[in-house]
Amino acid sequence: MKRILAMLLAAMLVLSLAACGGNSGGTTDGSGDTSGDTGTSGSDSGEKIELNVIISQYGNNTQDWWPTFEQDFEETYDNIDLKIEIVSWNDLYTVVGTRISTQQAPDILNIDTFADYVADDLLVPAEDYTSAELKNKIIPSFWTANELDGTVWALPILASCRALFCNMDLLNEAGVTAAPTTWAEVDAACQAIKDHFGGSIVPWGLDISTDEGQAAFAYYTWNNGGGFVDADGNWALNSAANVEAMNYIKTLIDNGYCNANPYTDTRYPLQDAFNAGSQAMMIGACNMMSADSEVNYEVCDLPTQTGTPVAMGVCDRLMVFDSSITASKNADEAARLDAVSKFFDFFYDTNRYSEYMVFEGFLPVTTDSSDLLATGADQFTVGGSGAPGDNEYFANFSSILLSCDFYPSSRAEWIDVKQGVIEAEQSICQGEDAQTVLDNLQEKIEALQAQNEGQ
Amino acid sequence: MKQNANAPVKDQAPAAPKPAVKPASGKQTLRKVEPYIWLLPSLVLMAVMIVIPILTVFRLSAMEISRAGIVKGFNNFANYKEILSSDIFWHTLQNTLVWTIVVVLLSTLIGFVLAMVLNQNFRGRKFVRALVIFPWATSLIIQAVIWKYIISADYGSLNVILTKLGLIDHFINWTSTAGAFFAWECWVGIFVTVPFVTFCVLSGLQSIDDTYYEAAEMDGAGFWKKLFSVTLPLVRPSLTVSTVLNIIYVFNSFPIIWTISKGDPADKTHTLVTYLYKLSFFSGKSGQAAAVSVVGFVILAICASIYMILSLKGEEAE
Repeated sequence: MKRILAMLLAAMLVLSLAACGGNSGGTTDGSGDTSGDTGTSGSDSGEKIELNVIISQYGNNTQDWWPTFEQDFEETYDNIDLKIEIVSWNDLYTVVGTRISTQQAPDILNIDTFADYVADDLLVPAEDYTSAELKNKIIPSFWTANELDGTVWALPILASCRALFCNMDLLNEAGVTAAPTTWAEVDAACQAIKDHFGGSIVPWGLDISTDEGQAAFAYYTWNNGGGFVDADGNWALNSAANVEAMNYIKTLIDNGYCNANPYTDTRYPLQDAFNAGSQAMMIGACNMMSADSEVNYEVCDLPTQTGTPVAMGVCDRLMVFDSSITASKNADEAARLDAVSKFFDFFYDTNRYSEYMVFEGFLPVTTDSSDLLATGADQFTVGGSGAPGDNEYFANFSSILLSCDFYPSSRAEWIDVKQGVIEAEQSICQGEDAQTVLDNLQEKIEALQAQNEGQ
Repeated sequence: MKQNANAPVKDQAPAAPKPAVKPASGKQTLRKVEPYIWLLPSLVLMAVMIVIPILTVFRLSAMEISRAGIVKGFNNFANYKEILSSDIFWHTLQNTLVWTIVVVLLSTLIGFVLAMVLNQNFRGRKFVRALVIFPWATSLIIQAVIWKYIISADYGSLNVILTKLGLIDHFINWTSTAGAFFAWECWVGIFVTVPFVTFCVLSGLQSIDDTYYEAAEMDGAGFWKKLFSVTLPLVRPSLTVSTVLNIIYVFNSFPIIWTISKGDPADKTHTLVTYLYKLSFFSGKSGQAAAVSVVGFVILAICASIYMILSLKGEEAE
């Protein structure tokens, strides 16, 4: 009897395991069919419309702001079931890739690039869910920055810009009276700091790591008259200006002006070092200073060789996935898009959106919030510290933002370019010939472009 | 060919009377089926957790997969052609072999010596044994992060200690080249692997009866003779198990290299596992990542097969 009972238990274990594997996401061949049960759908049963949203984690407090938003939204629209998930940038690409391949994509995704999703016909054009009122208040350059083949595919969620941060106490103590404006002045300031402080202060923070090495490429090439593309928009990675800029980065390392391991030091330890006062200068994001830092710093233009400093802007996006690939299987697509539209109108509401920008310390991409925060940021609080927003910060950086250059991230080849320039920078700084490395990269990207255009 | 029905059938035995077929009782059937029922949970687990993922990776390695993760279809093994024509892949493969051989070999040597020491009677032996197991009991990621901070040139404790001891007068960049990075990673690999070898060998050493050594001493054997003629042959099974397991663990180890260098600078410190991770999650080339994974699987399968063949031959010889 005991034996039979034990065998029955074993059989039950097998069945339960089989049951665990039974609720798969469905096919992964992109056909649009889903074989598995993908969850309950409110609209199927004539109830609520389900909206799944993935929001990127911008700071330690991102998850504190969104639950209130979710609650307020559901109280306003009781026919919409909003599910917001906050995902760290470290896991974001893995999570989204897995969800898409298992046909469990969110309805709305907050991420940086969209070209790959457009290439697979996974996105809904922005015009299909953006109200006229919202479209009118988005800064035009940010609206068109999301255009690919004549269609806008995403909405900008927020922006930031990069500037040169200088610890003026350290510079002055080393005998440098003003922030450097050219590469020669950067070298002179670094040498002065090195001579004065020895090894205890790092003169210049440099990040050419896998994390964001493409930003360093942009800072130095743009301010030497080069960049990712030429004036006609063609890839121009091996231009003479770019070669010169890469060789300049190498001299920063070779002369001992920067942190010892720019290949692996991401911007975060560099920001910490600057905030702690152990690093004199670095190019960083507008919100990189921590509230408790006692460093006497100045925010300056990026050093340039052309006479006209070019700042770098970074913009993240919100995009809407096609219902064929989403986890929420709402039967009525028009009702889903209407709910999406309501979500965006609710989020970009002047006060609510301004509050979020102050909370995260990023710059708004709508005209009404830019105007409000330039004079009234102090009515909102900064996430974590609870300190009031800084009107001057938003006024200054929002105006700089309008003249920033951005990555050509709406191009289909962008991910390969991004990885390619990071590998190129690291190879050049390890001693390989800059011209040869960039020529090889240019050739590879042109071949990829030809392949993409042939498809 | 059809056989002639009338031809005599060669060597046909006279028909034996058929035994009366007794219907199998329920108990007998149950006894026959029982072992399979007991095995079934393990088989299902293995199928779900091991076989299906392996088959899926093999399938994906021959497919075109978009960056968004959509499987487009068979691409005529283009993923394999792409990775095999890449210099980074061959450098990575070379790194993987160096990493596995250096870490396994040196950790086995050091672990063996440490086990010999820990097998002696001395005051504080229990404390030292606990100390040795400490690196093994700590998470690999934590160990890697600690070592990354120890060797950091700007604020690492190694430079601070050496400066305070007066051994150096300025901070040294311990990881100025890709080779230096990789050497440090190998050291961390050895540091975290030694405890496992030590305790495997120690368990083997403790099972050796003292009478073997007494007999060897009576025959005039010295330390080295006893080591090679008594200790090593008797501890060989423990050493073999630890070596085989280490080859698999070290070959597939991800956290140390990813935490310390992410395969940089310029992809020069990757092993196959970190390389395929970067291909998949940074470059969005899941098909190529699957192909690299298959290559790693084949290499490990060959190693495991050699071990199995040698083990079976050993058993037959016994």
